[in-house]
Amino acid sequence: MTEAVDFKPESPAREAWRMFRRNIPALAGVVVLTIIVAATLWGTFFYDGNPYRIVWAPHEAPGMTPDFPLGTDYLGRDIFAGLIAGGGPTLAVGAAAAAITMVIGVSLGALAGFYGGWIDNLLMRITEFFQVLPTLLFAMVLVTLFSPTLTTIALAIGIVSWPQTARLTRAEVMKIKELEYVTAARAIGARNRRIIWTVILPNAAPPLIVSATLTIGVAILFEAGLSFLGLGDPNTMSWGLMIGTNRAYILEAWWPVTFPGLAIFLTVFSVSLIGDGLNDAFNPKLRER
Amino acid sequence: MSASFLFRRLVYGLILMLGVVVLNFLLIRLAPGDPAMVIAGEMGGGDQALLDAIRTQYGLDRPLLTQLGIYLGNVLRGDLGQSYFFNQPVATLIGNRIGPTILLVLSAQVLSILLGVFLGVIAARKPNGALSGFVSVVATVGYAVPVFWTGIMLIILFASVFPIFPVEGMQSVRLRGAGFWVKAVDIAHHLVLPAFTLALIYLAQYARLSRASMLEVLGSDYIRTARAKGASERAVLFKHALRNASLPILTVAGLQFGNLISGALLVETVFNWPGMGRLAFESILRRDYPTILGVLFFASAMVVVANLLTDLSYRLADPRLRGKT
Amino acid sequence: MSALLEIQNLRVTFNTRHGPVTALDSVSLQVNAGETLGVVGESGCGKSITALSVMGLIPSPPGRIAGGAIRLAGEDLTRVSEARMRALRGAEMAMIFQEPMTSLNPVFTVGDQIAEAIMLHQKVGHAQAFRDAVALLDRVGIPSPERRARDYPHQLSGGMRQRVMIAMAVSCRPKVLIADEPTTALDVTVQAQIFDLLNEIQRDFGAAIILITHDMGAISEMADRVAVMYAGRVIEQASADDVLDHPQHPYTRGLISCIPALGKGDTELREIPGVVPPLHMLGAGCAFAERCAHRFDRCDTEKPSLVDHGHHPAACHAVEEGRI
Ligand SMILES: Nc1ncnc2c1ncn2[C@@H]1O[C@H](COP(=O)(O)OP(=O)(O)OP(=O)(O)O)[C@@H](O)[C@H]1O
Ligand code: SF4
Ligand SMILES: [Mg+2]
Repeated sequence: MTEAVDFKPESPAREAWRMFRRNIPALAGVVVLTIIVAATLWGTFFYDGNPYRIVWAPHEAPGMTPDFPLGTDYLGRDIFAGLIAGGGPTLAVGAAAAAITMVIGVSLGALAGFYGGWIDNLLMRITEFFQVLPTLLFAMVLVTLFSPTLTTIALAIGIVSWPQTARLTRAEVMKIKELEYVTAARAIGARNRRIIWTVILPNAAPPLIVSATLTIGVAILFEAGLSFLGLGDPNTMSWGLMIGTNRAYILEAWWPVTFPGLAIFLTVFSVSLIGDGLNDAFNPKLRER
Repeated sequence: MSASFLFRRLVYGLILMLGVVVLNFLLIRLAPGDPAMVIAGEMGGGDQALLDAIRTQYGLDRPLLTQLGIYLGNVLRGDLGQSYFFNQPVATLIGNRIGPTILLVLSAQVLSILLGVFLGVIAARKPNGALSGFVSVVATVGYAVPVFWTGIMLIILFASVFPIFPVEGMQSVRLRGAGFWVKAVDIAHHLVLPAFTLALIYLAQYARLSRASMLEVLGSDYIRTARAKGASERAVLFKHALRNASLPILTVAGLQFGNLISGALLVETVFNWPGMGRLAFESILRRDYPTILGVLFFASAMVVVANLLTDLSYRLADPRLRGKT
Repeated sequence: MSALLEIQNLRVTFNTRHGPVTALDSVSLQVNAGETLGVVGESGCGKSITALSVMGLIPSPPGRIAGGAIRLAGEDLTRVSEARMRALRGAEMAMIFQEPMTSLNPVFTVGDQIAEAIMLHQKVGHAQAFRDAVALLDRVGIPSPERRARDYPHQLSGGMRQRVMIAMAVSCRPKVLIADEPTTALDVTVQAQIFDLLNEIQRDFGAAIILITHDMGAISEMADRVAVMYAGRVIEQASADDVLDHPQHPYTRGLISCIPALGKGDTELREIPGVVPPLHMLGAGCAFAERCAHRFDRCDTEKPSLVDHGHHPAACHAVEEGRI
């Protein structure tokens, strides 16, 4: 009475993609994020505004003049131009910081999980130490001590955010290490480094990809927070900076802080929708419940 | 709970704090420029006599290890240095500011856990219901909104549209000489918006987490046993299930504490709340490093204490861990 | 006189990925006060679902009682309110589960868990209920009950925990006690002790017991009557002696011939070749057909019903036509 099933093997990546394609919120996230990225990359070709120059009367409300669709700020600078110009640094720092976080976190986590013993012990103590430091405060200290540039900001965010990634990687590696194909790879005499790179990390990839996506979102929020506090690169426009500089006038004009905030929110929101979608795609069983 | 467990956790906490002190020391040394200038900050930077005094006080011409020894000795005596901008010892400055921060952080923590867990428990009763969907949408939104922006939006709303909560500071100036209860109510009134802003990020996360945790617990055998006894649905949910489901929530609450302090930094700045975060912001604008590092030290100490308390309460909540070391 | 507990034509369905399936199909059982009904059958045949239906604890959704009646002292449990059900559960009927390791709440002391059951149905305070709990622990043979009552489940062995479950179940002197494979998770010496305890409890309290088990040895020692289940149906029902000595249905015959020697050593069911078909693949005919040596054409088209064909009720066309 066994059912004759036409069994077509499908690679996990393909299956994940098939699941992802059907996830409407995640696809919406992809669309919105694409629009935001495109606007920051090529927006200036379609809209030539200078975000730094005073071009109009201060606090012109949105929609009043067609030249400045989102109005002007307390100095009379074009907010829409600021949004387009400010997205680049925010996104770039977010992505770079997420990359740094992943590099540090995955390397340390993989080492700790794979070797165990005193290496694991030492690395986990270091991780715990870093988790004691309140992240934003530590990043603020680093950025002020080493002068704020886009590079130091990205580095600072990476340095304070890696512990969670390290823990996740360690847990995944320890799980995979026990599986049969690792034993098999050992049996044929593969070296440790080779096993880590060719067997363990590819198998740990799904949760790490999800975590990388969510890390980008956190890093963007981080960058926004630092710029809001005036700790961003003072020479570049950014969404957080726009909110920070216009903060004093919120009771006179709501729009100079509202639109950059919405931009940050939409970016992080679509990133996390994508992250959730990837998570569901990699763990179809969880969704069935 | 064994005394030796408590003792070992305490010692470990102290070691972590020692690490923070060493890190502070290293940060000043690693920063570009003359350490004496760094310590003096931008305010005292030009004064040669001050720089010389700092060099002698911190032994900056002596070997690095000696310097570390001097620094550690100072910290152990409760001397975190002098703020040349505020012209006060850092310890005094922070002593005045730590109370409001603890008040804000704890209120936000309690608010987010109580409300979040309540929503999560109710959502778990109908895993595919409307409330469940709402909770997960709100969780994603709450995660994506910059907390300082939420604060600003609330200020706009409550300052101009519904002026029922104060949007700035911790106390009303006109109540300076009032009695204790009047002041307490006044502070609570000022606390509403900042605490709610800070709680908002975590509230939804707790709701999502407790929903998942409750769903898992509700499927377990002992829940069926409780029902078989004739226990009411409320007793099943809030007595039998929640007690077990709260274990992962406790863990996360402990881990979140550091993030909560980071969030408090932004919220204090937005609402002019006179706490450590606001102090950190002010001193960073002035490059007042002794104060910044002092805040880093105290904030880390708060995280260490919070972790210790989490460990202890976890053991109290889970009898399987009691007696283990 | 009608039986204390009477299940009539009970039908339970589940919504699954394969659409709705029928987990129980016209199941009828009776048990009288002071009597023990044994329910046997392979894994997945619906024994636990039958028990949970009586307790009103079918996970719903996806499960649902789709038809039939369950009468406890004349009252149809499929029609009463949830509040009434709660008042009956634990008081008039109680259940002991298969997994003593996970059936007790890990964060409360066992004394408190028993006391809770008492307080739910009797007007006593916590102190009195806790004293009663200690007495019950003593009754079910737990040494130093005063101290044990303050222990948490993880501090007790599996056998001890099952005794706690029994103490909790009998705490309000239920009229019906359902024991769902109460010894499966325990080792052999403890199994015998638990069965002895159930016998004593029955003598003391006069409860009707429904004993669900895989163990034919336990059936021969404990049960007055036996119901054999297969794929959601009762396929044979009679006194324990009749079933053990004169099994009718080919499935029951298989079960009994698989026992090496009754009363000695290992009396767990041996395998009958083949497997129970999944519920969503049940066809129009006899569910046992795939595995049956007596199968003939009628078996594939018509479901046999539980009828007495001379000796005692059995649901089999071959028995009906005198082929075996
Ligand atoms: N939640 C559920 N959803 C779908 N089907 C279910 C569910 N619970 C039980 N079933 C179905 O009901 C049937 C009977 O299950 P039941 O637990 O009563 O078996 P059992 O006879 O007690 O087996 P065992 O000896 O393993 O305890 C099973 O085949 C199962 O497929
Ligand atoms: S009805 Fe047919 S198939 Fe079913 S048990 Fe009887 S003989 Fe076997
Ligand atoms: Mg069962």
